[in-house]
Amino acid sequence: MKESPSAIEIRDLTRRYGKLEAVHGLSLTVRAGCCYGFFGRNGAGKTTTIKCLLNLLRPQSGSVRVFGLDPQRDEVAVKSRLAYVPDAVAFYPWMTVRDTLDYFASFRAHWNRDIESDLLKRFGLDLSQKAASMSKGQKTQLALITAICPEPELLLLDEPTSGLDPIVRREFIETVIGAYQSSDPANRTVFVSTHLISEFEGLIDEFTVIEQGRNLITMNADAARERFKKISVRFTAAPANLALTGALQIKQTGRTAEILANGNSEKLMAELQTMKPEDLRCESLSLEEIFIASKALEQKK
Amino acid sequence: MLFQIDFKAGKPVYLQLVDQVRYAAASGMLRPGELLPGIRPLAEELRVNRNTIAKAYAELESQGIVETLPGKGCYLKANHSPFTKVVRDQLLLKEIDEAVVMAHHLQINREAFLEMVKERLDHFERLASEEQSSKTTPRRTQ
Repeated sequence: MKESPSAIEIRDLTRRYGKLEAVHGLSLTVRAGCCYGFFGRNGAGKTTTIKCLLNLLRPQSGSVRVFGLDPQRDEVAVKSRLAYVPDAVAFYPWMTVRDTLDYFASFRAHWNRDIESDLLKRFGLDLSQKAASMSKGQKTQLALITAICPEPELLLLDEPTSGLDPIVRREFIETVIGAYQSSDPANRTVFVSTHLISEFEGLIDEFTVIEQGRNLITMNADAARERFKKISVRFTAAPANLALTGALQIKQTGRTAEILANGNSEKLMAELQTMKPEDLRCESLSLEEIFIASKALEQKK
Repeated sequence: MLFQIDFKAGKPVYLQLVDQVRYAAASGMLRPGELLPGIRPLAEELRVNRNTIAKAYAELESQGIVETLPGKGCYLKANHSPFTKVVRDQLLLKEIDEAVVMAHHLQINREAFLEMVKERLDHFERLASEEQSSKTTPRRTQ
């Protein structure tokens, strides 16, 4: 296979607002054709990072590259190949759906009319409705259409589904999988920042957890689910002191305990087995649980 | 056919899909020549990355279970494993060993283990013959 530059390459990115350090030495790489999750709490530095990719903010140190290009120097070349859906979408209130789509299309070299009419039908949007009277869900749907019709190589989604109802959220994700990724999947990269992780669980190939502007953990999703496991154990009598070396976290309530394993679930299971438990089971953590557990990982370091 | 995905199963999602197709083929739920769902509709339905589905189908193809016809889709092949008898035996032995080790740890003795194996073989044969008979007599609508 031909080696193409990564869709996104961030090296030691730092960006401060006055004294507040929003992003501190962040590095990550997003392969072309991959669906990348960017997880973090509110204020972790997700939006700041995305703004640096779009040249809405300039890095104070470090570098960002999109398709191997510097968004600051080659702004047009970069932006013509990507689309961005922010968390709060805003359109000109006096424009109708039709006007808005034509307006967005006028900036683009390419606009797929078939996708446009498919998605309009799917979302049930009324072409003559003005943006001013649209709900938040409808505005997000419109923003998604404006992002997908140009068939960009990179789709940047910043908290795209927060504040939407479950049906709209579901449709949003189905659209990203279906309409966006359907043609030429090797050149369709998704970079999604979110804290509603469970909804994107099946979509994510790789992810980074960002905490206070730093990269806490970067992993392949399948590998992460393989490595982080939750062991549930129930004893016949409450053990006085459940000491397990190498456990990421131990939560004990009476006879039952929940143990988080970080790549050593088999060893911990064997150790627990020797204590003759009444019940012993092991399951993978979901990405959301891994996100929450990554905090514990940090403290162990 | 219907797929079910469990992110907590500790098994990569694409392998879960592979196992489910293999199970469906073994139990006659899926018959040779039958079409598997398309990548895009299945990805949307399960809300997983289409790469995951593509990877599962590629894996099934390399195991000789399905065949992809360009522009048509993915079909279940008739039972022809591409592997030689020796390799097939080895592949199965590995799985059996794992089950034996598991049985040991769960304190399931030899007789009970063999009984379970027989029961499962019967189970699959029953499923397959039920599917076979439903092919000739139309299935009741439920």
